[in-house]
Amino acid sequence: MFKMAGIACILAGCAGWGVSRVGEERSRVRHLKELIGIIQRIRDEIVYGKHTMPEICLILKENCSPAYRICFQQIYEKVSGPEALPFDRVWKRQTDICLRGAPLFEEEKDILRNMPQNMAAQEEKLQAESIGRSVELLVRNCRRAEEACEDKSKVILSVSLLAGVFIVIMLI
Amino acid sequence: MKSEAILHMFPEHMRGRWKEAAKRADQLQEIRLRAECPACALFTDGEKFVDEKGALVDRPPESGQATPEELEEILKHLCQYSVYAFADEIRQGFLTIQGGHRVGLSGQVVMEDAERIRNIKYIRYLNIRIAHQIIGASDALLPCLYDGEGRLYSTLLISPPGCGKTTLLRDLVRNASNGNAYGRGVNVSVVDERSEIAGSYLGVAQNDVGIRTDVLDGCPKREGMMMLIRAMAPQVLAVDELGGESDIQALRMASGCGCRLIATIHGSSVEEIKNKNYMRDVIEEGLFERYVVLTRRGGECHVEKVCDGRGNRCLRWRE
Repeated sequence: MFKMAGIACILAGCAGWGVSRVGEERSRVRHLKELIGIIQRIRDEIVYGKHTMPEICLILKENCSPAYRICFQQIYEKVSGPEALPFDRVWKRQTDICLRGAPLFEEEKDILRNMPQNMAAQEEKLQAESIGRSVELLVRNCRRAEEACEDKSKVILSVSLLAGVFIVIMLI
Repeated sequence: MKSEAILHMFPEHMRGRWKEAAKRADQLQEIRLRAECPACALFTDGEKFVDEKGALVDRPPESGQATPEELEEILKHLCQYSVYAFADEIRQGFLTIQGGHRVGLSGQVVMEDAERIRNIKYIRYLNIRIAHQIIGASDALLPCLYDGEGRLYSTLLISPPGCGKTTLLRDLVRNASNGNAYGRGVNVSVVDERSEIAGSYLGVAQNDVGIRTDVLDGCPKREGMMMLIRAMAPQVLAVDELGGESDIQALRMASGCGCRLIATIHGSSVEEIKNKNYMRDVIEEGLFERYVVLTRRGGECHVEKVCDGRGNRCLRWRE
């Protein structure tokens, strides 16, 4: 009876560890998808509404997950508030804080962090095209991450269960 | 006008230099920046140069000239790092920033074809014209602009640039909208093509244009007038800087719908306005019932005369 309970606990523990590892892998995909959504929204607001970047921050703060919401709210308040701090510096600092710890590669984070440096186009369609190119890179990375995530998930779950079985056999 | 608003027009590291000029924000009319030339500030009492440390001096200083890079940085800052959003305005040689201040631009023009401008590159000359709202600027004019039954006359404000046309128009709109001793408040619609009258930010008027005023911001006058007549049923329609036949056609249509008109035009007298092809018929038709001519004397803006539709001076006007 105790042996059976022990076996069940070990198997459940190993499976749980496997599931948590899979979750970490999926979190990268989730972050990438959110980043793509934000950059696409910025591109659309530029083309359709011809909004300025501070105005876009105001729109984004209503339409993002809490982490990004705080980031865009801070940018808008610091740029448009009584201090009227320079947009590029505030953007870089706030996005850097927001993306700290996110499971993304540095080059992916740089797309958002360095966006003001690429905002020199004097026409909205050209500006949107230049932003569109960075979306393509993120979409490609996201697709790769999704495929890798599926394969990795299967391997991690199998390995964790096998490790559980192996521990059980060893203990018996 | 707060001095902070002036300072915020410049990138953070340049603000120290403009503190002295910003202290006199109420008298400041223009800031002129030219590449490799000293910066100038035009106050109501005359022109001053801004030296390297920000002191206001009478003679051009030998140091502290604006560099092309600084001008580009200022322009980028004025555009809120979103130059694309001002593309159409830049093509026309100016942009309007938060607060309704107008920034004139000059540089090298890139043509799309023989007639159309695609862009202005190497922008090396900036003229920041500071918008001032003067509440009550039109109060003294009101006796001339209302008939005995409290009805506002259709009015054309005439003046050369920088004599306070837009300031007077804004205050007339406020007075017509809120109501005053000569007439009750009515619905006023404003086509604010260059965002100078209401100075809208995120769609909300930053200047006081009255409680019964609807503003169509950033829309060409012709389309805007027709849209507002159809959508907002105004009793008074206000537009700034009439500039061509299409504007006049829209004004005729608005007048035909029973709207009173308040408009401005560049010029120095009614006679000069008559020489503009598209205005001659308008004056003869009597589309406007009052003409207000503005001028600048001793650095200050004045109403030179107020005429009725036939060109006779308004007897109720006392300067």
